[in-house]
Amino acid sequence: MSDDELLATHLQELRRGTVVLACLLVLIRPNYGYALLDLLAQRGFSVDANTLYPLLRRLEKQGLLTSDWNTDEARPRKFYRTSAAGAALADTLSRDWDQLDAALRILKGAS
Amino acid sequence: MSSLTDRYVQATLRRLPARQRTDIERELRVSIADAVDDRVEAGDDPGPAEVAALTRLGDPARLAAGYADRPLQLIGPAVFLDYTRMLSTLLVSVVPVVAAVAAFFGALDEKPWLTVAGDSLGAAVTTAVHIAVWTTLAYALLDRSSAMTPRRSWTPDALPQPPSRRARWGELIAETVILVLVTAFLLLSPDLLAPWLYDTGFVWVFIALGVLSLGTSFARYYLRWSLPLALAASVVSGAGAAVLAWAAATDHLLNPDSGWPAGTTAWVTAGLIGLAAWSLVQAVVDTFTHARRS
Repeated sequence: MSDDELLATHLQELRRGTVVLACLLVLIRPNYGYALLDLLAQRGFSVDANTLYPLLRRLEKQGLLTSDWNTDEARPRKFYRTSAAGAALADTLSRDWDQLDAALRILKGAS
Repeated sequence: MSSLTDRYVQATLRRLPARQRTDIERELRVSIADAVDDRVEAGDDPGPAEVAALTRLGDPARLAAGYADRPLQLIGPAVFLDYTRMLSTLLVSVVPVVAAVAAFFGALDEKPWLTVAGDSLGAAVTTAVHIAVWTTLAYALLDRSSAMTPRRSWTPDALPQPPSRRARWGELIAETVILVLVTAFLLLSPDLLAPWLYDTGFVWVFIALGVLSLGTSFARYYLRWSLPLALAASVVSGAGAAVLAWAAATDHLLNPDSGWPAGTTAWVTAGLIGLAAWSLVQAVVDTFTHARRS
């Protein structure tokens, strides 16, 4: 494995859980897969489409997202929205993130 | 609808369970169309835009693996090592024996050596294929069933005793090898045994009991020892022993007209009855010791 691949793997590992949190936070306002991909990329969460699309379905199956087919436009799209359970999880995860961040700062200060 | 997108969607859906397909297809097609439109608006031609969008989406196999909500493997990492070990042990130990036995009987009948070699090779290939198929099936079922049983929280108490576990792995291998060899013997060289066994199909009862008994051994090795399992194991080995003892005692087992030296049939019969009695006693003792320990 080359150094670049190794770096990519580590970054991916580090970011894996944050994509879930980002989705739950962003989808308080309903949105569909492709637009979400764009939106996340603009906010600094570059995530692959082939990771995001299955992830949305998994979160929906876990009851963290709800979905509706919006047929108002010419192209019907599946809109996802964070459920109450999803919002609660987002809260918990955010708090955990803050604690991790604080802990990391202390580690960096201590060294 | 362009054919490249169609092919991509088909390649993805092909790997998914039927009930998931309709909804995923609708969503996936819209997502691809959105991505293509974006690139066209930015100035790309439709053809290259489609290629770029699909390239970005990546290998359909990976996408499908993300969507699938079930294991996409026959035998998972939990039992994979045991599976390869069992398979290679069986192949290495049983296949040469079967080939040698087949060659021996062919040579005994004074067939031409080319026929003997061909028969021996054929028997080896048949045996190897059977071993591969049934071992794979057994471990695939085992993998599914162990994934379905709820995990209890693990404590160090659950660690196996090293020597006993090793001994039992050896026992398991030995039992399997013996069963496969006996089955091969029963099916390949019927001369020495009573024709009654084959005419009535009773030989299959023996094989079925052997397979069942081996099944309980596998269950004992991989699953937790429980009372129903213990009872099932005793019933199976008890039934096997009883059937063996009965068939031997009533002279339904050996074929006295086929080359057994004079007087040996009586001894072999007595030996088989003794073996049956011993395995019966062992099954009962085994059940009690395990029940007391647990």
